[in-house]
Amino acid sequence: MKYAKVYAEDIQIGSEMPALAKPPIQQIQLTRYAGASGDFNPIHQDAAFAKAAGMGDVFAHGMLSMGFVAQSVTDWLGVGTVRKLNVRFAAIVRLGDVVTCHGKIVAKRPPKDGDGPYLVDLDLWAENQKGEKIITGKATAFLPSRA
Amino acid sequence: MPIQINMSVKGKEYAPFAVTVERGKIKEFARAIGDLSPFYLDDAVAKAGPWGDIIAPPTFPITFRDENADTGLLLRELGVDIGRILHGEQEFEHFKPIRPGQTYLCRLRVADIYEKAGKSGPMAFVVRETTVTDSDNDIVALMRGTTVVRL
Repeated sequence: MKYAKVYAEDIQIGSEMPALAKPPIQQIQLTRYAGASGDFNPIHQDAAFAKAAGMGDVFAHGMLSMGFVAQSVTDWLGVGTVRKLNVRFAAIVRLGDVVTCHGKIVAKRPPKDGDGPYLVDLDLWAENQKGEKIITGKATAFLPSRA
Repeated sequence: MPIQINMSVKGKEYAPFAVTVERGKIKEFARAIGDLSPFYLDDAVAKAGPWGDIIAPPTFPITFRDENADTGLLLRELGVDIGRILHGEQEFEHFKPIRPGQTYLCRLRVADIYEKAGKSGPMAFVVRETTVTDSDNDIVALMRGTTVVRL
């Protein structure tokens, strides 16, 4: 199995990634992510705590949504290609929300030394089922050349 | 009444801490996200792949924390209750793959603290930077996280 799914020659400025739609957020996933990440902030687990904190109800870890965004990049360009990834958390993700990740290529740079990988820059965003942006971000990824 | 944040924490560097990446934790993390790539989950497939073993997903370094430290310390030093914080921004830079069985050294500092008026009232922004190095003293990853505090 090859790890880079896409070669630099296949990608142009404006190329769009296939949208990645994740299953609806369930409490069990937030509990599972808490255990996996070590982030046990009760605001993601305990509705009474979240309400008392003025947040209405539990909501998803921002890092879970960033994990979805990272997956959308690696599903398209390949595992191990991400050089840089940054996001801004634009809105809260609630139980039952469906997060869909999008992205497109905004820059492509040839290898500096002639035979290394290309670098591409991506604009990234994720939306909930109402079309509201829950994340905006950018990534830089390595892409091998067919040459 | 808005709370006062302790600005003197700005610039603070914490004692470096070591983290050994466990194979099972990589898999647990990938499964929790629902990212089922065999390069995170399947030892046999990954062994035949470019790294000779599984590697960690891009956001995995967020799990790196000092097991011997009091996890609530920074918030207490800031004078902030955990119910007031939100994750504002996060960045990862990757220079080498993160591999199971490897021990990494993490250096965390509070790079910046600033206040700004937000949509729903006054906010403070706490920027934390973590540098992750390997046993060759190469930088493996950099993390920059911004925590938003509802004052």
